Amino acid sequence: MASVTFQNVEKKFGDLTIIKSLNINVEDKEFLVLVGPSGCGKTTALRLLAGLEEITSGEIKIGERTVNDVAPKDRDIAMVFQSYALYPHLSVYDNMAFGLKLRKTPKEDIKRRVNEAADILGIQELLQRKPRQLSGGQRQRVAVGRAIVREPKVFLFDEPLSNLDAKLRVQMRAEISKLHQRLKTTFIYVTHDQTEAMTMATRIAVINKGNLQQLDTPQNLYDHPNNLFVAGFIGSPAMNFFPSKIVKNGDKIYVDSGDFKVQIPNDLAGPYKGMDGKNVIFGIRPENIHDPEFAPSNIYGEKVTAKVDVTELMGNETLLYLVSGKNVFVGRVDPRSHLRVGHETDVIFDMGKFHIFDATTEEAVR
Amino acid sequence: MELANKKISGTKIKRNLLPYYYLVPAFLIMGVITFYPLIYQVIISFTNFETKHLLLGLNSPELKFVGLKNYIDIFTGALPVENFNFFRVLEFNFWWALSNVFLHVPAGVLIAVMLNTEGLWLKKLYRALYILPVVVPPIVVATVWRNIFDEQYGAMNQLLTSISILFGHLDPVHLRWLTEYKPPIPGFLPGAPLTLAYYAMMIANFWLGWPLMSVIATGALQSIPKDLYEAAAIDGATGFQQFRNITIPLLTPAMMPAAVYGFTITFNLFGLVFFMTGGGPARSTELLVTFAYNLVRNLRWFGVAAAFAVIIFFVALVVLLITNRITRATQSYSEA
Ligand SMILES: Nc1ncnc2c1ncn2[C@@H]1O[C@H](COP(=O)(O)OP(=O)(O)OP(=O)(O)O)[C@@H](O)[C@H]1O
Ligand SMILES: [Mg+2]
Repeated sequence: MASVTFQNVEKKFGDLTIIKSLNINVEDKEFLVLVGPSGCGKTTALRLLAGLEEITSGEIKIGERTVNDVAPKDRDIAMVFQSYALYPHLSVYDNMAFGLKLRKTPKEDIKRRVNEAADILGIQELLQRKPRQLSGGQRQRVAVGRAIVREPKVFLFDEPLSNLDAKLRVQMRAEISKLHQRLKTTFIYVTHDQTEAMTMATRIAVINKGNLQQLDTPQNLYDHPNNLFVAGFIGSPAMNFFPSKIVKNGDKIYVDSGDFKVQIPNDLAGPYKGMDGKNVIFGIRPENIHDPEFAPSNIYGEKVTAKVDVTELMGNETLLYLVSGKNVFVGRVDPRSHLRVGHETDVIFDMGKFHIFDATTEEAVR
Repeated sequence: MELANKKISGTKIKRNLLPYYYLVPAFLIMGVITFYPLIYQVIISFTNFETKHLLLGLNSPELKFVGLKNYIDIFTGALPVENFNFFRVLEFNFWWALSNVFLHVPAGVLIAVMLNTEGLWLKKLYRALYILPVVVPPIVVATVWRNIFDEQYGAMNQLLTSISILFGHLDPVHLRWLTEYKPPIPGFLPGAPLTLAYYAMMIANFWLGWPLMSVIATGALQSIPKDLYEAAAIDGATGFQQFRNITIPLLTPAMMPAAVYGFTITFNLFGLVFFMTGGGPARSTELLVTFAYNLVRNLRWFGVAAAFAVIIFFVALVVLLITNRITRATQSYSEA
């Protein structure tokens, strides 16, 4: 039960700056997900918080306490490693009891806490096994169990699900969310899987190249990405981007990609009025591109002519890979769509749901 | 139908025999250089074979079959050899191997752990240096150490002298390392006196023995995942607790076979013992192998020596069975 604060935290490995001035405020009982591409410094940030690496400058606080110089064991945190890091020579029970034994917890207490955790995770019947006798999913549970029994103030997870198969991952995702609701403790969870981030987090911190890009609720990140990176990273399939120009024609504002020109609805055009002739990047998510036959009627529909290059029928939706001039983009349309490969057609852009980014700063303009 | 069956079983037999054809050359060579001498030795262990029988071998007219006499003489100490007691030698031999391994393994592990420290300078140089003793020929090692323990001019006594001068004792230290028969700690090993020569040999063999253990431990250390230590650190383990709870148990699967190997090597460590003490003083540091060699070289009792060798064979067999058990019992913890 504690908040966590990163204040201007910097981490260098030799001359290499991995994290530059990271500022994150994690509130008490929050489920914060750190997400970002491989190598962006997520694990490093977590290890700094755990005390496994020393910070180069800045300050890390757990609760009100600055922990810069506090040993890992005294930070009152527990960590679930990507590799699980179970002690291979100890039984599941002893793996979970290890930390408590070191802290000289009374035997009955250890027993009670391990059994409780085992109950929560459904691993009662595995307690006497050795880690090598467990499946990946079971190992993962044991690793979580080892964290639970310690009853720490903050839980740290480093991509705990990345070694599991897709189905198990979905299941464990739900279970970890449930665990968070049940334990009412601060969770900090690292992943590079944005679906995991979206489904589990109360807030998400998007990190790229050691910089915090945006810290917000999943919905806000999705609806209002601050910059091109966040827009492209959150959402699958990713948002479509078109290098374009803002064009003013009378009192109407258009986005001109060179291959197509779409109008920005008047009531949304405010921020772009003074940008006539400016280079921007126009973004629109695949689900906001419709097959004309099935386009909802209450949207600001703009026609764009394109050729269907590839179709992917998913059952509940159809992905169209479309080509318009030099632009390739994806539409996520109604599964009843009759559009097939090779068709030359108009698709409908829902101009109520577009994004504009400055072409040089890549920041959102809104 | 029947015919077909026969054919199948025919090729089956042929296929089953194939591996044995491959083994024939090896068996032929082993037959000549291993099995023939082995059997010959067992046969002459029941005779009074001596130098004069060497020419005609088993066809010598005066060669007498003496039944189990050689064996009985060995066990009862009835051999006309001074200071010989088979069971004392046997006990000493086991103790010798055991006490060495109990020193070498922990020392090797400790030194490996210390040299594994991150950021230590010249790590590779140390690792190359400490493997040197292993490649020096035993007779050189033994000679050097015999000189070190020389009672008049040896470095050991000089070292002890200069140390004792520091404490105000001006008399030169005159320990008779290799010749003093009175054990410094009487009754330390009941039944077999451990003379100064034993301790001198322990010191010399320590120098020889720990590097190999250290090499093996270094390899095993590097295969322990780092995140186990990190998990333990978060769980609250101090450096020493990590060593006790992670390093030791995870090194055991590698060190156990190494210890077993060290035991068998030390058990039959002919070179160092023979050249350093020759089994003396008064046979107090005699091993089974050095004694067997003495029987042939000095006394030329081929029959007795053969019987002795057969006994050694059975002792070695027992050692092998026990150590095999130990190695198999310590399976590795590795995944999969
Ligand atoms: N001990 C180290 N020494 C030098 N560089 C390191 C060290 N640890 C990590 N790095 C570098 O820091 C960068 C960030 O690593 P980090 O492990 O934090 O990435 P990540 O975001 O967790 O990536 P992934 O999603 O692949 O796990 C990488 O470029 C990595 O090479
Ligand atoms: Mg990582």
